[in-house]
Amino acid sequence: MHVLWIDGVEPGEAVRRSGSKMGRLAELGTTGMKVPLAFAVTVDGFNDHFAATGLDAAIDVEMQGVDHSDHLALEVVADRIRGLIVSTPILESLSDQIVDAYEELCDRASDLNVPTAVRSSATGEDGADSSFAGIFDTFLGVSGSPRVLEAVRACWASLFSPRAIAYRARHGISHHAMPMAVGVVELVHARASGVAFSIHPVTGKRDRVVIESNWGWGETVVQGLVTPDHFEVGKTDRRILKRTVNDKKVVSAFDFSAGLVTETQMPERLRLRASLDDEQITAIADAVIAIEQHYGYPVDIEWVLDRHRREGEPIAIVQTRPVTVVEQGTSTAYDPMALANKFIFSKGR
Amino acid sequence: MATVIPLDEYITDEWYPGFTPAFDHAPFYVEPFRTFTKEDEKRFWFLDFHWPRGLTPLGLIWNEDGYAWGTQSAAENLPLPPGRGLSVRIAGVHTYASPIDIESGFEIGERAGRMGPQLGNFIANFDEIWADRRDEVERSWQHFVSMDPSSMSLPELSAMLKEARVFHKRAFEIHFEVMYPLLVNYLGFFGWCAEAGIDTSQIGKFLQGYDTKIMETDRELWNLTRAAKADGLQALFAANRAEDLNTALAADPSAAGFVQKFQDFLAVYGYRTEGSCDVALPSWIEEPVPALGMIKSFLEKDEEHDFDAALAAAIAEREEAIAVARSGLSVEEQVAFDAGVASCQAANFPWWQDDHNYYIDLRVSLPLRWAAMAIAAKVGADNPEDGIYLFWPEIVAVADGEKSYEEFRDLVAQRRVYFNESRAKRSTMPKVLGTVPEAVSDPVLIEIFGLNEHFLNAVKAAGSNSDVRTLTGLPASKGKARGIARVFNDADELHRLAPGDILVCESTSPNWTPAFAKIAACVCDGGGMLSHAAIVGREYGVPTVTAVGLATVVIADGDEIEVDGDAGTVTVYKRAGAEA
Repeated sequence: MHVLWIDGVEPGEAVRRSGSKMGRLAELGTTGMKVPLAFAVTVDGFNDHFAATGLDAAIDVEMQGVDHSDHLALEVVADRIRGLIVSTPILESLSDQIVDAYEELCDRASDLNVPTAVRSSATGEDGADSSFAGIFDTFLGVSGSPRVLEAVRACWASLFSPRAIAYRARHGISHHAMPMAVGVVELVHARASGVAFSIHPVTGKRDRVVIESNWGWGETVVQGLVTPDHFEVGKTDRRILKRTVNDKKVVSAFDFSAGLVTETQMPERLRLRASLDDEQITAIADAVIAIEQHYGYPVDIEWVLDRHRREGEPIAIVQTRPVTVVEQGTSTAYDPMALANKFIFSKGR
Repeated sequence: MATVIPLDEYITDEWYPGFTPAFDHAPFYVEPFRTFTKEDEKRFWFLDFHWPRGLTPLGLIWNEDGYAWGTQSAAENLPLPPGRGLSVRIAGVHTYASPIDIESGFEIGERAGRMGPQLGNFIANFDEIWADRRDEVERSWQHFVSMDPSSMSLPELSAMLKEARVFHKRAFEIHFEVMYPLLVNYLGFFGWCAEAGIDTSQIGKFLQGYDTKIMETDRELWNLTRAAKADGLQALFAANRAEDLNTALAADPSAAGFVQKFQDFLAVYGYRTEGSCDVALPSWIEEPVPALGMIKSFLEKDEEHDFDAALAAAIAEREEAIAVARSGLSVEEQVAFDAGVASCQAANFPWWQDDHNYYIDLRVSLPLRWAAMAIAAKVGADNPEDGIYLFWPEIVAVADGEKSYEEFRDLVAQRRVYFNESRAKRSTMPKVLGTVPEAVSDPVLIEIFGLNEHFLNAVKAAGSNSDVRTLTGLPASKGKARGIARVFNDADELHRLAPGDILVCESTSPNWTPAFAKIAACVCDGGGMLSHAAIVGREYGVPTVTAVGLATVVIADGDEIEVDGDAGTVTVYKRAGAEA
């Protein structure tokens, strides 16, 4: 089997077979977090397909003698490789399994042609050491099995974007060492989405949760297309410490004619309205703190507020990873001399 | 390219006509008080705001006892890590000061290491320390106030003069010994708050609402205003100029009750000069015009200043500001914040900055003044105040009979002319001299003297822009007000301010405090968040902008101006005398 349901597998196996992104989602599911329904096209599926169709060999030929410092040449090669990947039909044995799994996903979601998020989940991606965050593609709102198959190939192809090739070259990683799994995840109907950190990502303060939020899907926040609303919550007593509502000019919304989630202008009435209320803020804080406790280190998450969610129900978590920031202890001590040295006597020096 | 403002014009060996001091004739700790040399052009000098009139020869002892001894001894003994206090120079009769910076990181670190334990002790025991110092000053004060110089012999007056100098010098040791650690404690807390994301314009509020001796005096002035009203004296006050009130009151039998109350008031609060630390200034007991003028202008106000209500409001505002700041902090931060607030309320810099003036700045020059005047009278000077036109070594020599006053009689006349000429040049004196830095790092200079970026930019741009319509400074006290500008070079005319006027000056001192009960806004050339005007402006709810740099130069008396205490701007709408 080259398709793996993440709610039916032990987390270690999920990481091995479906990459760290899907593996983490599987692990989250076992902790009682609300995660969307999802299956993965495994690393083995990728390997089989690339070997049997001759893609591996073709790529090796293309990559031969590529000068990584020659950006133009690199771009031409990358385009050709991606063209090969997206134009090579998926092995029938594998595509049958994917179509079957997609139909099961629709069935379990009580929907026809359920919209999904198709996400790259490379091995090594989102690791604590070398972060490939944002390098590989994600497609939101993919609906119907032909489009899902297309999106899977597009995710595979994103292994060979000029950026990804350059990144691997810089870190000395062979593309053979990085087979890519792909996650097909039920798309949560987002009222609002965003990110949350179990540590302040800038100051490194561990006493608080930081939440950034916008209406609609989270792409505007993740890709920095919008100045999101900003909230801070005290970890110890879950009190909301800071509430900054910003002018949000862009929203990620489902475009039914295109069958995709795309960025569009924010409706006027939502621009200056807070995208989360206090109960929702607290629920997100509870979730990110629970995830941090589960892993034992600071994390960031991508969360989605389902438009059907009622007060008290959990928030959907669609991604989590370790956060890399220099921690700064929040001291309860007050030392006037230390403060004087820090703020007065070191000034201008 | 550094901006250098030449000081050639002030390079001279002579302080005043007929006086060239020996290099070390006065005590100093690190650097003596002296005149400018060309070498000084490499340093940064700023015009001190304490003496807008300038200093008479005897008055210049403050530069010795206050700066060359007080700041320098305190900075060395604490020790203050980044500097050795302030050095001073004289230009005409005006004082310029400069920080004595320490450059070595090693030395700063060592000094910080020594200061640490001292600061902890100081904060923990501040109440006791300040009470002890206050008691000491009070004890000495009683010694002098019980004397009757008019009945004393010349040798006795000589002894009084020398004791008064000892007291003066010691008072300023105490002043800076207490001020530096208070300021350090406050600024550390300020830094903590800024880092925790607290709105720093609110920090002054956390520490307000504590009664001081200066506020107590203001309250008594309002009680006297009420008494004057009750006795039906409004017409008498309205009909007479402040200068004539004392005589008019004495001549009116219906004012007898009020006059008695006023005498009782002076017996307690009257040992107070109209300005900081200057032997040239009389106390209210000698010269009650400022106090009576203040009562006169209070009577013109429709509403009384309700001190109890203002204090209650200040306390409520304090508690509210603290609660708002706390609500944005995590539980862990709240623990540190509470400790910081407690530390700064216990050793409260803004409070002390007002309170200490009653005990030190506004009265410790009086025994010297009284002794000098009595000596002058004894040796046949034309006017007792001629005594303050002698330098310290000169008046000691005269009092000890080593020199005849006749050697100085003509010089004193020349020096009076010199003082008046030099005083008149005050408004055109450069605000800074020497090498103007991009930024000043000494916290005392920034927070007390207001030598921030705005100030430095304004003095650098001086002359290049003659028709400035909007000036910027430090938003020291919030609110907006529009009114007629009254530009004052010193406090002498302060009682002429009408309610609703906007006070424009170099800087205010504690004796200016009562004016805040009637002005609509205040604008100062200098002064940081902790300057007198900033603190009192917040306490009285008067929009105040400080560190404007050249307000007294750009704004003319009578201009219609608007002060925005939130934005820190001053806009000149209508020039005095311009067509409407």
